[in-house]
Amino acid sequence: MLPPFELERPTSVAELVAIINDDALPYCGGTELLLAMKMGLLRPRTLVDVKSVAALSGVRLEGGRIVIGASTSHAAVAASDIVARHLPLLKRVENGVGNARVRAQGSIGGNLCFAEPRSDITTVLAALDATVTLMSSRGTRQVDVADFLLGAYWVDREPDELLTEISIPITEEQVAGHGAYLKLQTSERPTVGVVALRRPNGIRVGIGAVSEKPLIVDLEHADGIDYDSMVDSLEPVADLAGSVLYKKHVATVYVERALGALRELVS
Amino acid sequence: MTEPGRDVTATVNGVSVSRHVPNRMILADFLRFELGLTGTKVSCELQVCGVCSVLVDGKPVSSCTYLAVDVDGKEVTTVEGLATEAGLHPLQTAFVENFALQCGFCTPGFLMMAKALLDENPHPTKEEIVHHLEGNICRCTGYRPIVEAVLAAAEGGQDPVEAARHG
Repeated sequence: MLPPFELERPTSVAELVAIINDDALPYCGGTELLLAMKMGLLRPRTLVDVKSVAALSGVRLEGGRIVIGASTSHAAVAASDIVARHLPLLKRVENGVGNARVRAQGSIGGNLCFAEPRSDITTVLAALDATVTLMSSRGTRQVDVADFLLGAYWVDREPDELLTEISIPITEEQVAGHGAYLKLQTSERPTVGVVALRRPNGIRVGIGAVSEKPLIVDLEHADGIDYDSMVDSLEPVADLAGSVLYKKHVATVYVERALGALRELVS
Repeated sequence: MTEPGRDVTATVNGVSVSRHVPNRMILADFLRFELGLTGTKVSCELQVCGVCSVLVDGKPVSSCTYLAVDVDGKEVTTVEGLATEAGLHPLQTAFVENFALQCGFCTPGFLMMAKALLDENPHPTKEEIVHHLEGNICRCTGYRPIVEAVLAAAEGGQDPVEAARHG
């Protein structure tokens, strides 16, 4: 059973930001927060419902970027025409997050803030040079997703800061659909997830789910890659999905396959 | 200290219900203990197994990881809401005819997930059905009869509940 808590339902971003702190946590889909509370890992005095603020949900275009409100569900991102037109890779990735219920309930902002190391979304957004906007009564700041992710379940967010939106640059390569994401998943979370993107001057690879946070590697081209040295800087966490050695191996296999899938998309 | 809670008014299987519920009460407990709708089962409690799936405003959710206070003002459909006086829902009939259940514990969850799919995509491919049902676990059937049942229901035509609603 969940521990008891107070529930606040603010109706504006300003009101919301004024309430949250280390004992009053933003609450949206609950797909990760409620599990952590059930397990006794978190016991906040108050949950602050982010869903009651309509301005935090939805997808829009702004200055050559896709901007996604933090409380937008995975299913809503996957169903967005804007995402389908400008970033088909993200549509495919969102369509494969968790299961159909997690996609209907869980939010993209919550996924980032929770920083589950085996998240599909963190790997892909970090590789896409996405940024997040953090708002508090002290002001607003933008952080690259790659820097926002500090470690397992650890992000660069102060307890009084609210992640309001995610912004992703629109690129010619991604409008053309030149991005692949492959994952090995035998249970509810992936063992490894690899994104491969065509970039103006080469290829970018992002390796997720293996280490505490995704590893991003830029390559000039996809020929003659030494996969073993590429995964050298990975710091795999051994768990039920496999040992350190196994995870390094499976990462090389998936990098190779993701680059193969990208080659097919580009040709 | 009194338990913090809220008033909730929701439409459950077409019937309006109002209760004062603790903030920490999950939807599955609300349905089972407050409303006596024990068709919804609970198993993993981690939204992994799919047994507790119900629809909230037509979207599938894990009622084990969904606060009861969050259904305020919304429509909830559980397995008890599928059959009508005219008989079983086409999905239920298809499950029986295709032997898509053995012990039956996972069946309410599979039925509700399948309903969510067919309401949105009345003619899914086999691949789409498999993808949509990936988050539901059955330890008896080996899944094949379940997928066949959903295919059969999709081929069988319109959902009578939806047809009646849209008149």
